[in-house]
Amino acid sequence: MQKITVLSLLFLTVSLGVSAQDYSNYSSLTSRAKALEKKYPTLVKVKSLTQTLGNKDIWMLTIGTGNTSEKPAIAVVGGVEGAHLLGVELAIGFAEQLLAQSGTDSIKTLLDKQTFYVFPNMSPDASEQYFTKLKYARSGNARATDDDRDGKTNEDPFEDLNGDGKITMMRIEDPTGEWLISEEDARVMVKADFSKGQKGKYLLLSEGMDNDKDGVFNEDGEGGVAFNKNMSYNYPNFVSGSGEHMVSEKENRALLDFLFEAFNVYAVVSFGPYNNLSAPVSFNKAGVGKRIISSWYKEDADVNELVSKSYNKLVKEKNAPATTGTPGNFAEWAYFHYGRFSFSTPGWWVPESKPDTTLKQKALTEKNGEANYLRWAEQQKASNFFTPWTVVKHPDFPEQKVEVGGVDPFAMINPPYTMVASIVKEHTEFIEALAKMAPEIETANLKIEKLDGGLTRISLDVINKGAMATQTKVGEKTNWVKDIHVALKSNGQMITGKANQTISAIPGYGSEHLTWLVKASGKATLTLESPSNGKKIISINL
Amino acid sequence: MKSTIKNIFYTLSITALTLQANAQEPNQIFKASGSPANPKVQVSWNKYYDYEGHVEIAKKLAKAYPDLVKVQVIGKTAQGRDLILLAITDYKSGGDPDRKPGMYIDGNIHSNEIQGSEFASYTAWYLAESFGDTPFIKELLHDKIFYIVPSINPDGRDNFIHEPNNANSPRSGMIAVDNDRDGQINEDGFDDLDKDGSITMMRRKDPNGRYKLDPTDPRRMVRVEADEKGEYEMLGYEGIDNDGDGKVNEDGEGFYDPNRDWAWNWQPNYIQGGAFKYPFSLPENRAVADFVMKHPNIAAAQSYHNNGGMILRGPGAAEDEGTYNREDVRVYDALGKKGEELIPGYKYLVVYKDLYSVFGGELDWFYGNRGIYTFSNELWNNFLMYDKPDEDPQASAYKFDKYLLFKDAFVDWKPYKHPQYGDIEIGGFKKNYGRMHPGFLLESDAHRNMAFTIYHAYHTPKLEITAIDVKDLGNGLKQVTATIYNDRMMPTHASQDRKYHIEVPDVVSLSGAKVLAGMIVEDKDMNIATEQKTDPTNIKLDNIPGLDKVMVRWIVSGGSKFTVKVDSKKGGIIEKTL
Repeated sequence: MQKITVLSLLFLTVSLGVSAQDYSNYSSLTSRAKALEKKYPTLVKVKSLTQTLGNKDIWMLTIGTGNTSEKPAIAVVGGVEGAHLLGVELAIGFAEQLLAQSGTDSIKTLLDKQTFYVFPNMSPDASEQYFTKLKYARSGNARATDDDRDGKTNEDPFEDLNGDGKITMMRIEDPTGEWLISEEDARVMVKADFSKGQKGKYLLLSEGMDNDKDGVFNEDGEGGVAFNKNMSYNYPNFVSGSGEHMVSEKENRALLDFLFEAFNVYAVVSFGPYNNLSAPVSFNKAGVGKRIISSWYKEDADVNELVSKSYNKLVKEKNAPATTGTPGNFAEWAYFHYGRFSFSTPGWWVPESKPDTTLKQKALTEKNGEANYLRWAEQQKASNFFTPWTVVKHPDFPEQKVEVGGVDPFAMINPPYTMVASIVKEHTEFIEALAKMAPEIETANLKIEKLDGGLTRISLDVINKGAMATQTKVGEKTNWVKDIHVALKSNGQMITGKANQTISAIPGYGSEHLTWLVKASGKATLTLESPSNGKKIISINL
Repeated sequence: MKSTIKNIFYTLSITALTLQANAQEPNQIFKASGSPANPKVQVSWNKYYDYEGHVEIAKKLAKAYPDLVKVQVIGKTAQGRDLILLAITDYKSGGDPDRKPGMYIDGNIHSNEIQGSEFASYTAWYLAESFGDTPFIKELLHDKIFYIVPSINPDGRDNFIHEPNNANSPRSGMIAVDNDRDGQINEDGFDDLDKDGSITMMRRKDPNGRYKLDPTDPRRMVRVEADEKGEYEMLGYEGIDNDGDGKVNEDGEGFYDPNRDWAWNWQPNYIQGGAFKYPFSLPENRAVADFVMKHPNIAAAQSYHNNGGMILRGPGAAEDEGTYNREDVRVYDALGKKGEELIPGYKYLVVYKDLYSVFGGELDWFYGNRGIYTFSNELWNNFLMYDKPDEDPQASAYKFDKYLLFKDAFVDWKPYKHPQYGDIEIGGFKKNYGRMHPGFLLESDAHRNMAFTIYHAYHTPKLEITAIDVKDLGNGLKQVTATIYNDRMMPTHASQDRKYHIEVPDVVSLSGAKVLAGMIVEDKDMNIATEQKTDPTNIKLDNIPGLDKVMVRWIVSGGSKFTVKVDSKKGGIIEKTL
């Protein structure tokens, strides 16, 4: 009896998960992952990579058939940034939609040939803040940190002064303030522009008190180290949220420990703030000339351009704002330090709003992101995106007018949930298209020439069938990407050529010519193998 | 053969650690100055010990001196050994041991650079054995704590000692790496073809070769002149092409460099050869880093390497030049130059300028990330070897072996049939020669280097409240001024520390009266002070500079007995009542 209850409860949660009206919290994400494993036991394995300090599992889904660790793989990473709930949705949603198609011939073939490692949420401690009583945009995990380095941890958090369960902003009328109310939209605060002769009237601070009386507001609350600030590429030392040193956090270490041993991974797709899919990286010659490189190599940037074209064909939303990699971010790490093709997108951004002529709106001139967002959200008839400014009493400003309000946390980087399904669909199609560009080794033009005296010359071309190179240019230099290993086994003597050799990067649709001179007879076996490019065995009769 | 070597080694350790204790009666011993004459723990310092040997020394010290030496396990090595640390201080006096200014010492981060462990263990032994009769050491252990990790790389140490190697191998730790990226791991390492425990050299007679025998010592191979015909070719270290790829010994133990693994300006292996996966992806280094972060009282550090006779400071990388600013360099210079006096033949140098530019080194993390004044000493140099400074060092090495070691360091050339090279000869210096101290020089250099680390440790901050002055301001108000003096060279916060607020400020607190206002006095004579508006009872100081004072002042009401307390992460806790 009890069993049945548990099962039906589980079923209920699962079906709720699928038809959810909002983003998934930790427990519903866990149910969604486990439901996939249950529904597709031969195609999915779910594993916890580690537990965060907040006691949350970092889930990893291995999707594929047979010996998954020996097939070329794409790693799909969500929850790169804790407040970016859509990233989690895109990663787990990709797994769900891919598996839903696993009955079709094309996906069946794909899952026989390739593996997908899906890490739906790398920031579960932080993203859970959206689902708790007090909502605020949070990037840091559950580590207690001393963000302001005063010897105390988490002593100056936000306070919900207007009691609405979310942290927005507060504006304080003050002659030393640098902020003004926007002329275009009275809900929006803008910085006074000296060149226009404007003088500020307001202080603008996040909602809360200066608990530790150090003159800074809410600078050391709950929220420790951010996954996307703790990576070893371009790491920011001693910055709030970056940790005590590079790769200090359990989440980061566990993912890297896995990835570095996953030699079959040829590409990493991450859903986070960095965007090299709407527009590809541009090659910068000076950036690869220094000891510490800061640009993609030309060959790799060309692949990025091709992949970006495919992305823009499949993803309808255009005019993505340009991004630069923030210090310590994951997406750039995946290229520069992991040596793999790394593609990243936030998946959604606020579209450019158009004035509603029926309301006699004019085009916005201030180029203000918030004003544009508010206009767009209203037109969408979205709810819960703005908190009207209301007066509160504030002990730190007893004599001054203090108002709390502004754009709600999470709103500007996560679309209304009704839009999520179609965004997930587009991105699933994109990853499937990306997998079709995977490097794959093939052989052609095998020639066996008999010479005098029992000598045989063997030659062939090793061809890369895929559009992506067999490894990146930067990967060629590291220990953490394998070359293609070529072994020729025969019963005789090798005159020229090597019994064992390696080939590094073969460009997309490129080839490499190999030749041997052997004094042997009978059967010989030629094996070509690389974990990220596949395996090919050829039997030769000499 | 391997097990024979182990057996010999084992016998040696037993001899050193146990039998010698009974070699002489105490009344037959006359103390040589500066050395413990009849130590409780007998260790012979003219030989090397494997990791277990060092663990044994540590345990015996802890047993013999429970109030001075405590051994703890700070982590596991990649192969599962316990990584031990000795915490040495006078546990009976001087307050909370982990709040005393600390000196961290380790050795052997490179597997083949083993004598650092002997130097580290010698330091532990010397401190414990000298505490009783050397007042300076007694006071030192009252004030300071030493954290000593005899080997930060025990797996590599034991591989170097117990497996066939040459003087340069392995530098790496023991986690397998596919160096040639062919999908197979460690498939083509050295081969001890003559089974003598050392990897020596291969040579072959060849009329087209460019080498000949040195007429003064036929063991030695020398290059022929440009217009001269040679007799031999050199074929590198002992080995065969195990995997048939046309290369010999290209994928052996490792390779990664544990000293490229530290999380300060770390770079991946294509930029910085030797880097592993990510900073602190090596468990031994991570254990040490975690320990250091939990012990902010560590103010100074030393890591022992070999060789060349160098006292090195950072920056390791040219890109990091700005990290070491003038104020801190003054402290480094004063310490380093003293080191040159204490260890003749050693030179005080800067890594990136005088050696090579390198990312991810241990000393850069200690200083850059933790604000700890750190040196790496490269132990052993030719100066100690054979007093002919202008001679070719290789020629000296042969002479030294011949006249002082009686050819014990050399394996004579012997013929061998090689599967790829045919008739060759194998011979050369053993792995214990060239980078390591010969037995009779080991103790003396260990002592000198220890003396340098003691000088270094001595100059970690020592705080004193030199005065508490009270002045009546009328209306029941009093002005209390405390003077805090740092009696050593190092400040409580290195300038790198201050720049990034790595450690929390020093806190000077007053109790015994109601504090109305508190301030830091900048100029007592001109009465210039900066008020601390919040929490005036606990005045926060960014720093207490070396050999300098800071004045703190409170305006109080009531009270007649005032207690001033200073709480400094790197300067300790002190208190004074007036």
